[in-house]
Amino acid sequence: MIMANLTKPTLANLTKPGVAAGIVAILIILPLLTNSGFAITVMSQIGVATVFALAFNMLLGQGGMLSFGHAVYFGLAGYVTAHVMNGMANEDLPYMPVTLIPIVGGIAGLFFGILIGFVSTRRAGTAFAMISLGFAELVTALTLIIVVFFNGEEGIQTDRWIREEMFGITYGSDIQVYYLIAVWCVIAGIAMYILTRTPFGRISNAVRDNPERVQFIGYNTHRVRWLAFSLSSFFAGIAGALHAVNVEHVGFETVGLGQSGVILIMVYIGGTGNFAGPILGAILVTLLNSYLSDLTPAWYLYLGLIFVLMVMFAPGGLAGLIMMHDPIRRMRPRLLLAMLPAYAVASAVTLVALAGAIGLIEMIYFLSTTTTRESAMILYGIALDAADFWPWLICIALTVGGAFGCALTYPRMAEAYNSALHEARISVAS
Amino acid sequence: MSNAIKFTGVQKSFGPTEVIRGVDLAIEQGEIHAIIGPNGAGKSTLFNLVTGRHRVSGGRIALNGEDITNYTPYQINRKGLARSFQVTNIFGNMNVYENVRCAALWNLGYGYAFWHFVNRRRDLKERTDMVLEQTGLTSRRNVPAGLLSYSDQRALEIAVTIAGNASVVMLDEPTSGMSSGETEQAVALIRDISTTRTMVIVEHDMGVVFDLADRISVLVYGKIIATGTPQEIRADAKVQEAYLGTEAS
Amino acid sequence: MEVFVFSLFNGVLYGMLLFLLASGLTLIFSMMGVLNFAHASFFMLGAYFAYQVSDHMGFWPALVIAPILVGVVGAAVERYALRPVHRLGHVAELLFTFGLAFVIEEIVQMVWGKVPVSYDVPASLNVTAFAWQGLDYSAYRIFMLLISVAIFIALFFGLTRTRIGLIIRAALTHPHMVASLGHDVPKVFMWTFGIGCALAGVAGVISGNVLGTEPGMAIQLGPIVFVVIVVGGLGSLGGALIASLLIGILNNLAISYDFSFYPIFAALGVERDVEGILADLVNLTTAGIAPLVPYLLLVLMLIFRPRGLLGTRDV
Repeated sequence: MIMANLTKPTLANLTKPGVAAGIVAILIILPLLTNSGFAITVMSQIGVATVFALAFNMLLGQGGMLSFGHAVYFGLAGYVTAHVMNGMANEDLPYMPVTLIPIVGGIAGLFFGILIGFVSTRRAGTAFAMISLGFAELVTALTLIIVVFFNGEEGIQTDRWIREEMFGITYGSDIQVYYLIAVWCVIAGIAMYILTRTPFGRISNAVRDNPERVQFIGYNTHRVRWLAFSLSSFFAGIAGALHAVNVEHVGFETVGLGQSGVILIMVYIGGTGNFAGPILGAILVTLLNSYLSDLTPAWYLYLGLIFVLMVMFAPGGLAGLIMMHDPIRRMRPRLLLAMLPAYAVASAVTLVALAGAIGLIEMIYFLSTTTTRESAMILYGIALDAADFWPWLICIALTVGGAFGCALTYPRMAEAYNSALHEARISVAS
Repeated sequence: MSNAIKFTGVQKSFGPTEVIRGVDLAIEQGEIHAIIGPNGAGKSTLFNLVTGRHRVSGGRIALNGEDITNYTPYQINRKGLARSFQVTNIFGNMNVYENVRCAALWNLGYGYAFWHFVNRRRDLKERTDMVLEQTGLTSRRNVPAGLLSYSDQRALEIAVTIAGNASVVMLDEPTSGMSSGETEQAVALIRDISTTRTMVIVEHDMGVVFDLADRISVLVYGKIIATGTPQEIRADAKVQEAYLGTEAS
Repeated sequence: MEVFVFSLFNGVLYGMLLFLLASGLTLIFSMMGVLNFAHASFFMLGAYFAYQVSDHMGFWPALVIAPILVGVVGAAVERYALRPVHRLGHVAELLFTFGLAFVIEEIVQMVWGKVPVSYDVPASLNVTAFAWQGLDYSAYRIFMLLISVAIFIALFFGLTRTRIGLIIRAALTHPHMVASLGHDVPKVFMWTFGIGCALAGVAGVISGNVLGTEPGMAIQLGPIVFVVIVVGGLGSLGGALIASLLIGILNNLAISYDFSFYPIFAALGVERDVEGILADLVNLTTAGIAPLVPYLLLVLMLIFRPRGLLGTRDV
């Protein structure tokens, strides 16, 4: 069972008016700080990913259901939205402002979620995961068969400019699209947060923790799961619609296992036990993906390794790691400073190990993908020849040395944390 | 007035093994009824049959006069029957307060609602506070359930069981694993909550049984061999032979 | 008729290949409760190791060495990585193996590149064994079939007639009991995982040269193997066999015979050149929907009979 974080969600702070205003202000100002169109596109992508990630965590972190096929609702809603926009442009369908189109996506997601969810949620755990995989593959296969709706490998092209809307908005510019996504992101995020505060949200958590006991307090576990699944698909559908508006194209990869896998990794790395975790994961992974995937061919390998290491050693994700320190911060903030030396040493050692490991991986990639016989490459800004032995030697030394160092320093770091926590608790009790 | 629970000819087999071999038992309204018996007699199975965890192989079970045979656990719970578990079965990731509050949700009519703020509902708050008070957990309301001491967990187990205001409460070995001090507290709590409810308790601690119970039934090899007041049971020759041996303290 | 026999032969071959994969997966899942999402990745590793080894030593040594290597990797993964995740629950284990599949695919791309590599069918088998009714039956394919059957028989006798097989079968349903009888259950787990992966590796070795060896081969085959074990029933090797053969044969027959669905629509009065969604459906053929069939089977089975054809445990 996924161990959710045992402390209060950080968003308890976010309901304070000052913090909320601050976040809104940041969202408004953000695109104005840059001239790069690429940066604004990335911001839009982050917004879409955030909605999708939060929706996914309704299932995973809050409901305890692991799905490998949630992109089905994201993608199907995207297709529906694209068709609706095309229909409006052709005047086959009544006009609706593009500003409101995510509702259409949400309804589409909801529709499929209710349908498929009823069957899927009959089982739990591994079986549920396998059913979700089955539906993902099923829908993916359908995309090549039902050409009228999916248009096979080409996908559906659409255009967000249909008619001029209020305040002269046309969504022609990237900034306008960003603001559209940002507004919907905030609305959806607030809605999903509110849901956690409802009887449904609480019972959904209870089903995650102990599905059997839930029956003995009067609830039909299947109903609870089905409802969670449906609502989660609704918000995934909103994300899908935003995606369609943003990219103006929906292809078969949006419903598939790959897309589902990415969102799973995002949410898990961010942290499933905390409402803000998926937001963190969406921001981080989207940013890294946008900027790192050009820098190195090994980006996906690094992502996968980070994910696996987190499953093994930090199941609460980044948010979990941060929130671990929250009790100390609340009770005795000074103790956090006392922990710094041990943390700093462990971090430094980790960086050494990483430098070596990344060097090795980059060199291997370089050698295996080079088309010419050239072996000169640039690593960390240093020109070197990958055919020489000494870069390898150094990297291996760094990796092995760093690994040993980690084995030595990590227990110290854990000890520093434990004693700080202990002291903080004692000081409060006395 | 109908019986709180009535077993009529109840049988249960797991494959070829017959565990419950025809139980006829009527639990009266408002009483504290203990079910005792040697290990393997089928006490837990009987519990599971009433509460819907297993299906019966034969016979009928009625709750407050209404037939509930083979109903699902949540249907039975909604009719007013709640049970606790011998191995503590709570919501480990939530704190004590939220555990109890969840258990009160259905009974207070909140269902699957996703349009109320759970924190703002006064009736939920009052019910939860009351149950916490009764089970002595008020001071530990914010502790995550997974971190409680054993006896606090057992108290929480009972709290979760009674939070839904069930009229019939079944406790499965409530004092198992407790020290004598803890047992005393548990007995006091059980007596306290029994004033407005019918209680059915499975227990091994004979001191607790004879202290609390209005009536006792003895289950041996899937059949009830005797039912009666503690004195009657103590004096019953069949019971002595099958179970009690020398007189209990 | 000859087409039927030929497709049947190929279908059985494909089915036995699936079974090689499914048997290892079944053993692991039933025993440890872990659904090894990365199982097809070990299949892929088997093919790549075979490529590497046969490059230096030829096919026959590769047939022996590569599966053993894959088994060792599998055992190491179980011992050092999966075991600590075990106590976090089944969902965490599933996530781990999912991440593992991801990482293995990336490592394979890193080491061998994205372009398919190839190693050859051994010259001695690269001939037509015989021809029947005008269709050539390749010796190598017959060899593949024989190896799969041989492994199945070895597995069957190994599990039913040997002492270790008895222990494994007992641990399948009652791991705690087996542990309290003094057997080193963690060790049994490690061996089971290793052998399961080695089986997948063998399948990779013998099919990598005909199907093509490339980084996407795991994700192509993986989901179908999940279908097989769920449809066949968890904990049941017999069920896995039946399901594998069923899917393999259905798949090949659907593609070979390629019936069109048009006659059904024609009977309902639908025109050939109708527009819209009916256009897609009207032109459907069995070959076109062949990719769908395993997943439809999976979904139907999970709805109506979650335990599968011959399964003993509820999923």
